Amino acid sequence: MTSKITSSSTAEYFSKNLQQVGFSSGTKAVLTTLKEAVDNSLDACEDAEILPEIHIEIEKVAAGSQKNMDQIRVKVVDNGPGLSAEDVPHVYGEYLASSKFGRGRCSRGQQGIGISAATTWAQITNAHGARVITKTAKMKQAFKCEIEVDIKKNVGILKEKSNINWDRDHGVSCEFIFDGRMQLNGDAGILTYLQGTSLVNPHLKLVYKINDEEPVTLERVSDELIQIPEPVAPHPHTMKLGEFLAHGTLFGKATLATFLKTGFSRVNEATFTDLAKLGLKKAWLKEPVSSLSQTEMKAVFAAIQEAKLMAPSTRSVLSIGEDALSKSIRRLGEVDFFSVLSRKPTICDAKPVAVEVAIARLKNSKNEADDPVEVLRFANRVPLQFDKGACAILKSIESINWKSYGLNQPKRSIPTGPYVIAVSVVSPFIKFKNASKETIDASDELVAELRLALMQAGQRLARFVNKEKREFDLEKKRSHIEQFGPILIEGIGRITGAPRSRLDKASEGLLKILGRDEAAAEDALAHATTKQKEMVKKLDQYDEDEFEKSEDDDSDADA
Amino acid sequence: MAEKTVEKKKRLTSGSEITNLAKQTCLGMLADLEKARRPVLEATKCSLDNSFYNPKVGYLTPGDKKVRSELNVSSVQKMSRSVFFMEILLRNIEVGAVNTKRELYYMAKGMCKKDALYKPLDFEDQAESDEIVDFIGEMLEVYREDLNCYANDRGGQTYSQYLIVEETLPNGEKATIDLSMLGTSPFQPKNRPQNLKLRAKKKIEFCMVVESEGTANTLVANGFTKRYNNIVIGSGGVPSNAVRSWCKLIQKELDVPMFFFGDLDAYTIQNIYRTLKAGSAASLIRNSDYSAPDIHFLGVLPEDIKKYDLNDYPVKEKDVGEARSLKKAADALKNDPFFADKKNKKLADILRWLVKEKRRCEQQAYFSVDPRDPTMIEKILVEKIRKGNYV
Repeated sequence: MTSKITSSSTAEYFSKNLQQVGFSSGTKAVLTTLKEAVDNSLDACEDAEILPEIHIEIEKVAAGSQKNMDQIRVKVVDNGPGLSAEDVPHVYGEYLASSKFGRGRCSRGQQGIGISAATTWAQITNAHGARVITKTAKMKQAFKCEIEVDIKKNVGILKEKSNINWDRDHGVSCEFIFDGRMQLNGDAGILTYLQGTSLVNPHLKLVYKINDEEPVTLERVSDELIQIPEPVAPHPHTMKLGEFLAHGTLFGKATLATFLKTGFSRVNEATFTDLAKLGLKKAWLKEPVSSLSQTEMKAVFAAIQEAKLMAPSTRSVLSIGEDALSKSIRRLGEVDFFSVLSRKPTICDAKPVAVEVAIARLKNSKNEADDPVEVLRFANRVPLQFDKGACAILKSIESINWKSYGLNQPKRSIPTGPYVIAVSVVSPFIKFKNASKETIDASDELVAELRLALMQAGQRLARFVNKEKREFDLEKKRSHIEQFGPILIEGIGRITGAPRSRLDKASEGLLKILGRDEAAAEDALAHATTKQKEMVKKLDQYDEDEFEKSEDDDSDADA
Repeated sequence: MAEKTVEKKKRLTSGSEITNLAKQTCLGMLADLEKARRPVLEATKCSLDNSFYNPKVGYLTPGDKKVRSELNVSSVQKMSRSVFFMEILLRNIEVGAVNTKRELYYMAKGMCKKDALYKPLDFEDQAESDEIVDFIGEMLEVYREDLNCYANDRGGQTYSQYLIVEETLPNGEKATIDLSMLGTSPFQPKNRPQNLKLRAKKKIEFCMVVESEGTANTLVANGFTKRYNNIVIGSGGVPSNAVRSWCKLIQKELDVPMFFFGDLDAYTIQNIYRTLKAGSAASLIRNSDYSAPDIHFLGVLPEDIKKYDLNDYPVKEKDVGEARSLKKAADALKNDPFFADKKNKKLADILRWLVKEKRRCEQQAYFSVDPRDPTMIEKILVEKIRKGNYV
């Protein structure tokens, strides 16, 4: 008996494998839906050069359709450019319908899977898809509808369409009602996500309302629009064979030389000489790409992997910047002191990458002294909240000796105390360990770069911690002199039976000895205070144009 | 039989000597303070890097390294605590009171609670007060027992038909214990061997220290002490101070051949047997009284596995404890002066064999030789002694 081979649509595949894209549990479903909607809003605002203002509502509305699940409503409203009515079904109801796929930009979304998966999840668990209201500046009225995914055909189906008057000129509102579980705090918490999103998006005004609580507003701390660098053509060394062949098909009748020179960065005439030396037939360069067989294209791929090329440009990488981070970090709560560090974009594993670190000590942290610090991980400015164990960021934090920067740290673990360590990795080509993009692959080069950033941020933090430690030392020393001096002298007196006159003289001697130590501690505190003031002065200088240069010098010296 | 080790000169241990030494130390501190000089308290460093094996005496002795505590604002707390505890211990010596470390901890806490002056000295946990008691002992070079601070008397259950122990009680009275009169109960040695005198009703042929107290009990129950003029001691794992000093006393006073019967594994050789024979790095200043250098390792020997067809096992490297023991044994072969000395070459060879082969054989494996004969194990042990089949 033979079985009939069938093919399934992309939507069918994802609808059966939603756990792969962030819907493996109720908690994850809430967070993934929220995250995908917010990512889309932020990307849309940045593309249209609008300062984003996002309003979020999350609430538990009823019992869920499944056991141990609640029915959750998530609504995200933005002030972005809005979607045309024609685009709505593509965006919310069709998988892999992305405008961002493979364009080499540091955008949050890339493949066009996430928001369609959120629609599918709502559809599966609540029999309703996404409820969307959209308006572009050109539209007279807003367009309102419900979208569902046609699982068999991978297309979006519009339902209950209408035109309505809306209180804003442009923007998108999307609402999902689905089975999920609300977790507010902790690694997988909604508040942790919102806190992280506000940290790495200083230009974002965020208003959120959870259940019946009063709405919370996090005002933007920067009015500067994020300048997203233009994408650059891919670098041959960042590609896999399959991607190379697929890229080739876009060039059809263009010659191989044209394909290589215009389809990639860092390939020029000199590269062709190298390729010839590596055994590539020169004649092929003049042949149309479409006329080359797959075996020949494989040989081209192999040769170009061997060729020596300049490292990819780092121009395409976006940095949040130390000035923005230093303002944004204060939105995490009341901060005792903090340190931020923005590394210059560099090349890791042949891909451009920028690493930034912010460390803060919070005044009202829930963390006890021996609780692990809160770690916020970001990839392309999106918080990562699951599967942290194998993540490059966590591995890097664990591998550093934080004791030398004044933090407590159990052996081979993350440090402890009321601190937040936020680490952002930005790159057009982040290598994740899984499709739900929760864990950054820990390659040796990336871990080394992360370590450098963390150590430099640690050195800056140490100036604050050191001053505090010196103050504590001096205080402790002063109290030691007062408390232990009499106990020591009287104890010696009782054991030896020495007369009072001798004990009085010994007391004077003891005060002299300990007084010398106190003077030394005062000097150490004065030195630490000077160092800390220098650091504060530098942080205050972030708005000045000259800052970048002086800080470059400083980070070289620190390293 | 191997040559006997030579006794070292007697140390000071009397209460008045210790009180005098403590007073001298405090007078030195006072004189320094009067001249506004920083007093320094110095103690012998008790660690492996300050341990030397002296083959003439047969135990680990301390080198020149010292732990120094100079008075400054950071160490003034430790110095105050040392003087505070010295006073408590000297008072105990004066009135003849004894305490455990745990009791001393609570006594110190009580004093800190009742007197506001002492409040800053308060101890967070027993580890803090233990550190001070140990420091005083190492500084004065006396045992904690000399300071009337006793450990729990663990292990050392002793059986014999011919041994008589005479104990001098704190009030000076004498108590005589004839071990043959104790029925099936063992004699439990005390931590202060200087209060005990030994004599034998009849010449004792040998003393057998057995790693497992259960196996020691089995040997006795099956008549081992009735058939032979011997002493059987159950060491109960790593020998406590009481067991070590008891073995030393038997070796010194009765001059009988002494054998150790235990497992063939890295932990037993490197930890249990080495501590019994040569003392430990932690007790460097006490090893002269807390080791029995003339003891021999009777088995299980590597060759016994084949000779008696004993069941042995591979070391489970996934087992944290067993893997740690192997690693410690490998370290000991490199760094422990006891195993580096040619006098102990045969033991080092056994340890090397264990590290290489990664196998172990328990002492109870002898029971597999003839399960029907309850006296088989004692026959094997006696045969090994007679044939000189030991290390």
